[in-house]
Amino acid sequence: MKRSELLSRLLMMAGILLAIGVPLFFWMRTPLIHARVAENGGWSPNVIQAEAGKPLHLQLTSDDVTHGFAVGQMDMQSVDVMPGKVTDVTLTFDKPGTYTFYCTRWCGVNHWRMRGTIEVSGSSLDTEPAAVPLYVSLGLNVDAPHDAPIVPKEIPSAIRGEQLATDLSIAQFVNPDFYRANSPYQTFQDLSSTGLGDSEIWDAVSYIWQSNTTAGSLVNGQKLFAQNCAACHGENGAGDGVFADKLPIKVDSMMQKPANLTDPVRMLGASPAMLQGKILRGGMGTGMPSWGSIFTEHQIWDLIAYIYSFQFQYH
Amino acid sequence: MTKIELTSHTFIKSALKNRYPQLVVLVVMLAGYIFAMMAGLIGTPVGSHNFSIVFVWIAWWAILILFAVPFFGRGWCAVCPIPLPGEWLQRGAILNPPNKKPKWSNLRWPKFLRNIWLQNISFLLLALFSSVLLTTPNVTGIILAAMLFTAIALSMVFERRSFCRYLCPVGGFVGLYSQTAPIELRVKDKQACITCDGKPCYNGSANGYGCPWDVFPGGLTRNTYCGLCTECLRTCPNDNIAINLRSFASDLEKPSARLDEAFKAFIMLGSAMIYAAVLLGPWGALKDAAYHVGTSAWLIYAAVFLGIVFILLPSLFALCAFRLENFNSFKKRFTTLSTALIPLGLMFWVAFSLSFVFTNASYILVSLFDPLGLGWNLFGTVNIVWQPILTPILAPAQTLVLVGGLIWSARTALKASNEAKTSSIPVIIYCFVVTLIMLWLLL
Amino acid sequence: MGPRVSLLLLIMAGLVVAFAPLPVRSIPPQTRTFKLDARQFAYSPSELTVNQGDNVTIQLVSTDVVHGLYIDGYNVSVQADPGQTATLTFIADKPGSFRFRCNITCGAMHPFMIGKLTVGENDWLYRSIGLSVVALAGVFLLTKQQAQIHYDKD
Repeated sequence: MKRSELLSRLLMMAGILLAIGVPLFFWMRTPLIHARVAENGGWSPNVIQAEAGKPLHLQLTSDDVTHGFAVGQMDMQSVDVMPGKVTDVTLTFDKPGTYTFYCTRWCGVNHWRMRGTIEVSGSSLDTEPAAVPLYVSLGLNVDAPHDAPIVPKEIPSAIRGEQLATDLSIAQFVNPDFYRANSPYQTFQDLSSTGLGDSEIWDAVSYIWQSNTTAGSLVNGQKLFAQNCAACHGENGAGDGVFADKLPIKVDSMMQKPANLTDPVRMLGASPAMLQGKILRGGMGTGMPSWGSIFTEHQIWDLIAYIYSFQFQYH
Repeated sequence: MTKIELTSHTFIKSALKNRYPQLVVLVVMLAGYIFAMMAGLIGTPVGSHNFSIVFVWIAWWAILILFAVPFFGRGWCAVCPIPLPGEWLQRGAILNPPNKKPKWSNLRWPKFLRNIWLQNISFLLLALFSSVLLTTPNVTGIILAAMLFTAIALSMVFERRSFCRYLCPVGGFVGLYSQTAPIELRVKDKQACITCDGKPCYNGSANGYGCPWDVFPGGLTRNTYCGLCTECLRTCPNDNIAINLRSFASDLEKPSARLDEAFKAFIMLGSAMIYAAVLLGPWGALKDAAYHVGTSAWLIYAAVFLGIVFILLPSLFALCAFRLENFNSFKKRFTTLSTALIPLGLMFWVAFSLSFVFTNASYILVSLFDPLGLGWNLFGTVNIVWQPILTPILAPAQTLVLVGGLIWSARTALKASNEAKTSSIPVIIYCFVVTLIMLWLLL
Repeated sequence: MGPRVSLLLLIMAGLVVAFAPLPVRSIPPQTRTFKLDARQFAYSPSELTVNQGDNVTIQLVSTDVVHGLYIDGYNVSVQADPGQTATLTFIADKPGSFRFRCNITCGAMHPFMIGKLTVGENDWLYRSIGLSVVALAGVFLLTKQQAQIHYDKD
């Protein structure tokens, strides 16, 4: 055949092969972790291998909507995983074990189900058994009702409570061991012998609750609540979040609505340990996620402190 | 305006007759097409960041409807890569002159399909699931592959570029609207063709192939079916083929009387309005219905879509062509008057596309430098934030385009009604009403 | 009156229709607040109307995934995660019709997630309609005049 024909055929084949080969080559070589909404499979892959002490370099991309990425129990700054874009993350794990990674931007009613695990291998010289959560060691039944028989007629004020507290000896109530194991109602009962009226005792209780936390914890708790809880429980905790009507239906077809965290009957009868149990474990026959592998203990106490602030007027 | 013969300039003529410049352009186009196909099939599923969606439905569409068609008629067809692999296989060569015997079955396209009805249908098929097509890279990739392989298959069975002439969904409207373009390919002297022996422009010669578009260049009076492939420039022994610059819409001075083309005009006019309502309007229910292909809502949407383009628009137009006393030439009046909808439809599509392109043009740079969504950043522009461009001039531009289209279609209606020997008033009122609807939908 | 004069008059009429200031009803500006639910792929309500000069607050509530709100022409925007209402406040000083759209990819049909904000009257639409009428009048007038010239020539 003529030389021009040969050359043009070569040119053609080169063009076609490059157009097919270059994308294929790079696509096969790029190990992306795809984020998809849970209904479409969630994280893919959802199990990642790593070695303790060696940096793990991840490339994340979203295949549909805005997602985020963070590793649980590490108090890690989350990164956004945007549709069509690639986010680079480098993690280093000191200790071997199974870590949970999760989505940090709400991506639908099943957002919280978007989780995967990182299996970190390595020799473990100091393995410590996981600490037993407080509600377990206290023997609390997280599923049992915890209504407070008596509730305040109006929102108790910690400012008034502070003034009352000067006459009471409340030091016994302002320490983690007491605070975490007792509900506001129990504290109310403990103070009934002081001879003060009900509403004044509630004011004192609210001051005690405020004293058991810090302003910084409340701010952190509010942030955690807004990012993780408000979508179902409502921005003001009333159980009226945007997903409240979209949760899975229970077997006897009664719609499960998220708990109303502003209800004093329910909340004042619950101790922090009880709330911690509910948050850690979830379930209870409702759509409540289990946060045990996600939040650190510090984060959960901050969150619980914030949730109580729906009941009391702090300053 | 008198015609200016562009090919009278030696530089232009030799550049067009030489096969190498064309080959280089075609190789680049084919590689780009295949790359877009690959990006659609294996790249990120996010449309706005995938090369296939951005470069087919934003960049290529903008170039096609805003420049190529209005100014170059079938100019896109001249560089389109879809027929190429099939044609090279059909010819058994890329550059070599034709063999005496065709390599494959080389059948003639069936007579009853020698019209653009198949193109009307193929366009509508794509239009009905356009919400999915425009936003899902996989689907775009599959359609690109389907068009390429269908063209190859047809080239193995039928002669010439049968896909391009009779099936391509794009070719249907590009051909119709090419009649408005200021460029044309015609013979210089019809007498020379009459005395020409063998008609190599149509049958091929040692210098080149017979017209792949199944057109006899000597008989060309309008642009609709000439794909500007320049084969006839190479084969004509009398140097009788010219590419001319001319006034816009000269072809509409002699309007065609074909029903398939008339319905193409209605399909394009109707789909421009429906796209404007569904894609650019604030009505979420319409978008849901259009997107969820296969649901009952979509079936209703599809039925309404087809009803508008096949029944509502044509029957209202039929009233404009209806005259009790002269019913026999009703079809001729109908088809002749419908040529007024050609410039109108083109301007509708330009106005609609301006909004779509200005809003999404910023994605072009992003997907150019990370075409597969793998995290590349070839020129540092991958982090450009989405931002619409030229927003202040959009509404005035759309008004100019639509009012200009109205003027153009009114003038075309006046000429067509002279030809059809009927009043132009009903047609002009029709054009006025649909223009008002389009203005309301877009502004 | 020859066609050239007619053309000039028509162009002037067109310019008047396009640019002549319309009398503005001076309505005292109010403060308005809208709660906008955003879902894949529509806003609810999807059409908002305010008066020129109003102080407008839009509370964007995303009900499924992260959505944004970007207003064409005003170039202001905000984004909201589900559970975290976002607020956008601006003064509607520019009159006319403006589309607002989602500005953070929220799924396949994201580029078509669109609503409409009307500030005062959609003057430009009325002007365009006026221009269409002037254009048609012009076509008829000029065609008649040119036909007359042809007729006179014969």
